[in-house]
Amino acid sequence: MSDTVVSGPALAGREVRHEDGPRGAPFTPPKQGFLALKSHYSRKTLGTLALLGALSLFLAWEIGAHSVPEAKEKFFPAVEQVLAALFQLFAEKEFIYDVGMSCLRIYLAYIVAMSVALPLAIGMGSFENLRATLNPTLSALRYLPAASFIPLLLVWFGPTDTSKVLLLFLGVVWFLVAGMLADVRSVSHELVESALTMGARRKTVVFNVILPAAGPQLMTSARDLTAVAWTYLVIAEVIGAQSGIGAVMMRAGRFLNVDVIIAGILTIGILGVLTDTVFRLGHRMLFPWAR
Amino acid sequence: MAYAEVAMTDTDETQTAVDASKLPIYVDCVTKQYLGGAFTAIDNVTCAMEENQITAIIGPSGCGKTTLLRQIAGLEYPSYGRILRDGEVIHGPGPDRGMVFQTYTAFPWLTTLQNAEYAMKINGVPAAERRERAMEHLRLVHLDGFKDYYPNSLSGGMRQRVAIARALGQDPRVLLMDEPFGALDAQVRWEMEELTVEIEERTRKTIILVTHDIQQAIYVADRIIFLTRNPGRIKADMKLEFKEGRRFLKKEELITHPGYAETEAQLYGMMREEIEKIRGGE
Ligand SMILES: Nc1ncnc2c1ncn2[C@@H]1O[C@H](COP(=O)(O)OP(=O)(O)OP(=O)(O)O)[C@@H](O)[C@H]1O
Ligand SMILES: [Mg+2]
Repeated sequence: MSDTVVSGPALAGREVRHEDGPRGAPFTPPKQGFLALKSHYSRKTLGTLALLGALSLFLAWEIGAHSVPEAKEKFFPAVEQVLAALFQLFAEKEFIYDVGMSCLRIYLAYIVAMSVALPLAIGMGSFENLRATLNPTLSALRYLPAASFIPLLLVWFGPTDTSKVLLLFLGVVWFLVAGMLADVRSVSHELVESALTMGARRKTVVFNVILPAAGPQLMTSARDLTAVAWTYLVIAEVIGAQSGIGAVMMRAGRFLNVDVIIAGILTIGILGVLTDTVFRLGHRMLFPWAR
Repeated sequence: MAYAEVAMTDTDETQTAVDASKLPIYVDCVTKQYLGGAFTAIDNVTCAMEENQITAIIGPSGCGKTTLLRQIAGLEYPSYGRILRDGEVIHGPGPDRGMVFQTYTAFPWLTTLQNAEYAMKINGVPAAERRERAMEHLRLVHLDGFKDYYPNSLSGGMRQRVAIARALGQDPRVLLMDEPFGALDAQVRWEMEELTVEIEERTRKTIILVTHDIQQAIYVADRIIFLTRNPGRIKADMKLEFKEGRRFLKKEELITHPGYAETEAQLYGMMREEIEKIRGGE
């Protein structure tokens, strides 16, 4: 029986042959509880869990809505009532136009904010002198609440789209600058130095080394601040707007149409998640090299 | 003694036959101070590096090896003295002096091949030519099979080889390496040491290798400069005579070579002296 593998000191110095020996029985790993540390689950499991989490929120909502006394039901509509209101908004109230207006304002403001923040961050992150000159002032601006500019904007521009876009812009731009500056400054110094020892000139270092090196982080910073932009959107539209999701919600409030208000909140939530997903996909496409 | 106490004064040939200031690198009375002159990292160091020679700079931690190398690269400037490259004073970094850093500096957004082409690209080498030369360098560092990989999917040793291939791309007169294999494990380090010797045999460049590792210095280098700490001065400048001008493509061949053990013991002795001096002084 030279094929059989036995363990123990009897084998010392002898050739151990595995390939012809008996196979081991399938190994059963120990059962893991729900809160197992360092576990790897399949995408399917993770997706199911995410769905369960979302469903339990709606379930709690539904239970809550059905447990309020009948007289107060109007103030706490159930899921199906809100969905019905949402459907009605799109079908009869041309809600798609309001959603479009809101998106237009927010993305326009965001693009303007980015086109101000990105050059500032790259300039200040690359050149110490620029940072020393500008950053203390820009940091101070961050502490001025954007909402405090509302009266000023109303005096200057009235309840126009200009004042709304400017409010959104003011709400995100200084935070974008701060986040993006940190990203640019975290680019490893050795990357820059190795480019210099290869004969790279200043322009090449900035646009060909610092910018791509910071790229993935810059995009993540930009993504994180979209949530803040949505906050200011609602504030901007609640004060004197004829169109937009916020305006629709405000009008509904006057008639105590709580189902419409919640439908508006739901819409903003969905749009936020969609924006986030677009950023995520863009990140993966633009930076395939970043893990 | 097999090594001289002071740099460049032991052999007649360096004094008479060669004008040191015309060599690829000539470090001329360089002093480097920090903290507004309160701390002297490098104290009046003079030395020169020849063509087709690997010089190792070793010494205890904090003795100023990196400081010296970065000044040669032009990333820092001396407080006193000057450094010449082929007779010209160095005023900043340039493609004539390639550098391999201890940290991984292969550009993560470029593939292996794009990294290897990078220095040529920014220096205006035509696309076809740079592709061909980059592939040649990748073959030299055994990475031609990984030309489309991004650094993040390569191992540490492979990333360092990308950095070496990239530095070769600029066809530098001098190749500076600051503990390039310090972060690698023993077996990979060993491979990289042999690769360095192979590259020198093929390209005959002036290589300056900063290292902590005595065995690495003896194996890779043709000459060892030993720096003391605080202030950083040249303790010894030794030509590795026992190698008889040969380079060994396999490390084990050198270790069994007569004279190896003595050289190693001598360097360990010097390192011990320095460590004790530091302890005594503190
Ligand atoms: N920018 C700086 N400011 C102040 N002191 C510095 C600076 N750079 C280096 N030093 C000091 O100069 C000395 C030499 O530093 P250096 O990095 O050259 O040492 P090293 O020989 O490379 O050490 P190691 O082997 O640990 O890498 C150290 O004492 C260090 O603290
Ligand atoms: Mg160092």
